[in-house]
Amino acid sequence: MITTHSIPEAAFTTLAAGSGDPAVIRYLREAQQSKHLMLLHAITEAASGSSAAASGSAAFRAGYGLLTRVQALDPGASAWLLGLPHLGGWAHDCLIRLDQESTPDLAYFACAAAAAAVRAGIPFELDLPVRDGCVQLPALGSLRICDQSPWVRLCCDGERVTAEGGFEAPWRLLVPDDGSGGPVPQWRGTPMVRAVTDGLAWDVLLETGDLYLDRYTLPMSIGLSADEIGRWRHRVQSAWEILVHHHRWAAEPMADGISVIVPLMPQHDTDLVSATTPAAFGAVATSWPPDPVTMAETLVHEFQHVKLCGLMDMVPLVQPGTEKVYAPWRQDPRPASGLLQGVYAHIGISRFWHAQQHAETDPDDVLRAQAAFARWRSTIDCAARTLLRTGCLTQAGVRFVGMIRNQGRDLESESVPGNAQEIASEVALDHWLTWQIRHMAIDAAGVASVAAAYKRGESFADQVQPNTWIEEETRKVGRAVRSRLLNMRYLAPARYRELCADGTLSLSEADRLLVSKEASAAVQAYRDQIAGAADPQPDAWIGLTLALHQLPSSPLQMAFATHLPLIFDVHACLGGRSDPLDLAGWFI
Amino acid sequence: MTSGSSRRVITLQGQELKSVIPDLRDLPLDRLAELGDSALAHSIALYRKRLNENGIPLSSFNARI
Repeated sequence: MITTHSIPEAAFTTLAAGSGDPAVIRYLREAQQSKHLMLLHAITEAASGSSAAASGSAAFRAGYGLLTRVQALDPGASAWLLGLPHLGGWAHDCLIRLDQESTPDLAYFACAAAAAAVRAGIPFELDLPVRDGCVQLPALGSLRICDQSPWVRLCCDGERVTAEGGFEAPWRLLVPDDGSGGPVPQWRGTPMVRAVTDGLAWDVLLETGDLYLDRYTLPMSIGLSADEIGRWRHRVQSAWEILVHHHRWAAEPMADGISVIVPLMPQHDTDLVSATTPAAFGAVATSWPPDPVTMAETLVHEFQHVKLCGLMDMVPLVQPGTEKVYAPWRQDPRPASGLLQGVYAHIGISRFWHAQQHAETDPDDVLRAQAAFARWRSTIDCAARTLLRTGCLTQAGVRFVGMIRNQGRDLESESVPGNAQEIASEVALDHWLTWQIRHMAIDAAGVASVAAAYKRGESFADQVQPNTWIEEETRKVGRAVRSRLLNMRYLAPARYRELCADGTLSLSEADRLLVSKEASAAVQAYRDQIAGAADPQPDAWIGLTLALHQLPSSPLQMAFATHLPLIFDVHACLGGRSDPLDLAGWFI
Repeated sequence: MTSGSSRRVITLQGQELKSVIPDLRDLPLDRLAELGDSALAHSIALYRKRLNENGIPLSSFNARI
């Protein structure tokens, strides 16, 4: 009789609060070990009837036999292997290939089993595949093979590991490279960081060689030089110090929950891309973070995804659905599952910046932390309400999101200085307006009906609201420079000041006035721009709304913030002849 | 920061949420195959169905500076 993993209600509640002590993380890790065993069994069954290469199948069976022996002799070594994100990545790849009737890489499992045996010093003999002149031992390192054979026999006698072609070394030396050991000929240990601060240690691999962890939106940074690895080690250590000193709630479970960082190659210098996949629990991927605080924030962000992926493997929180909705941190419409991941990440991010604002001393860094806190905490309630509205949540999901929402409300009750709050509110409004203009499509007949009612002088309140739906791109919005500049005020204040001072920015006069906080002049400039253009001007409408929001509170602000896509479409339907403010006044 | 949350949350203290993942940690690998058409097969089928329906969603974030 097999029982199933369970998670105590208290752990569920702790996770919903964005937290998770090492004991909670242990529930998730243990479930992942069983999940990997489950997938391994599925692969074993499917592979027996597949067309996978005979040599791969034989290596898989031999690896399975070896791991069975490792499990009997050293359960800790097999548990280590079964908990690796490498194994999860490989197992998911195999299942997908088997489902698609393409050839799975079964021989990789022999390398994985050999890694567990080498780690435990258990005697074995196994034929392993050679790729690009190397044998991979996942999460340990790679062994350079001198001859050209596609397979090599690796042996361990309990003291030394030998391979055909003259390799020989004590098994105790075939370990990841934490920068402290001497070289072992033909062996390249997987780079490792041993971060330690105030007695709290975190061992984490910098994985740049495993095929099955090269599975993110950007490619893995393969072939990092010794200098580059040194820079990564230093950055991780610096980020760890920040986390341990100021965010211990995140650092303690992270030390148990993240075992691998995958450095990514960004496409642009200004990109900061980070990612997580439920196929590889315990691994997070990121491009080079520009500073230790950003690295620390990225780790908190991605660790939230790791925890939620682990929990959702155990307790489904979202049902499949087709509806896509607004996510305040993304430009594209997201499914409910993506929104849940995002809001959970932003609980962690908000908590990070809440504490970080008190840790910073440089005025620019303080502003960055305060505005980031104000920016992201405000998204939580909105996203949680959206999730609850979709009807895509399971019963447990409704409870989970309810607790997230409470967290958001608690964060909203914290005070933030006026300047930081103002920047955050404007950036949030810009994002929301841009998203609506870009993605909210409105039924053309409904728009025409509203436009006709306006011309007849009827009341907007008496009109039937036109149908709306979400599209990938319904109107073209192009004013990225303005949005980036608004964000730069708190993300990179020094750069912002520099750009404003040199006057070389390609901004329209209206945008320049908006950024300079000359709100009344900006409103007039946007009105002139809209009136004088032959084509619809979505960017100017967004700018007009932002400029109006810089002025003292008025009903017009709400009309624009609530109905901008409809006002825009009605204006176009009327031939672009009405004054934007007069028209918007009708929507109050 | 979190102290205020408990006042509005209905918790089920002392209860556990059962998962769909069979606990295989103490099972010898060579006995996995003996389980045959069991709860394990059911769990695998559920997981593969989920994979087929949802793929492997990637949480990816680009904070362009």
